[in-house]
Amino acid sequence: MAFDAGGDASDEALMVLYANGDRHAALALARRVTPRVLAYAARLLSGDRAEAEDVAQETMLRLWKIAPGWRQGETKVTTWAYRVATNLCIDRQRARGRKRQLALDDAPEVADSGPGVEGRMQEAGRTAALEAALAELPDRQRQAVVLRHLEGMTNPEIAAIMEIGVEAVESLTARGKRALAAILSGRKEALGYEDDGHAG
Amino acid sequence: MRMTDMQDDDLDRLLAAAARTAQTPSEALMERVLADAFALQPAAPELRPAVAAPRPGLLARLAAALGGGPALAGLGSAAVFGMALGYLSPTTLDYLTGTATDAAEFFPDADFLTTEG
Repeated sequence: MAFDAGGDASDEALMVLYANGDRHAALALARRVTPRVLAYAARLLSGDRAEAEDVAQETMLRLWKIAPGWRQGETKVTTWAYRVATNLCIDRQRARGRKRQLALDDAPEVADSGPGVEGRMQEAGRTAALEAALAELPDRQRQAVVLRHLEGMTNPEIAAIMEIGVEAVESLTARGKRALAAILSGRKEALGYEDDGHAG
Repeated sequence: MRMTDMQDDDLDRLLAAAARTAQTPSEALMERVLADAFALQPAAPELRPAVAAPRPGLLARLAAALGGGPALAGLGSAAVFGMALGYLSPTTLDYLTGTATDAAEFFPDADFLTTEG
């Protein structure tokens, strides 16, 4: 479509335009926010695409509802969206009593049909192992690690999303990484790090 | 120690690799999101022609031309004072202005009204 994701307009400006009936603003906001929320939810939900899509749609639904009463300058739209998505993910995990224990057994077997395929499968296995390890972390640690290291957010941004102080964020990410390392350390050989050393 | 190696090196690479891969929304999801957006979007306010302000009356325009309420008040006071000056006799004026020689003769012009013959 010719209209790109809102041009230079800020998310907050697009919220106002949306509330005033601008359909282009709806499209721009959907294109900007939905991918980020989906990727984040998928990471928190251990890659469950169907649930992540539900969370993304529900988050956006709440965004549309709150748009007419949106208060400029109080919160960034993305911060608000991440916060809502976080809570929705937690609700889903708790409601279903789900703590996925994806072991490396669930990861794809390394295929031997060629080096390229092998490399991709090994990377997929590593990603699955990371998702499984993330799922074992306490909720807050997992959120902090995902936001910091997978979503690439700054500590102040994470603090705003999680509604805690920056120091608490630093503590959560540090503890989360230590816990991840402890979980994954016993799986290094399966992850392929023994074979390729530090090259991969 | 293997755990330390994982934390300091391999884990960072693992996280960096995972950060480069993200699920992207399907067309179906985007369609659902947009359907919600349009269904919940408030209607754009209709554009209405601006209502012309009522034209002020003749008196209001005249008052405005003279400078508005405060100017009219001053003008009215001056008019009343001028009429009072016009009705008063010259003697009274002399008294008021301090030029009268005999203050007791307040309305000398009215003497003929009280004298007989």
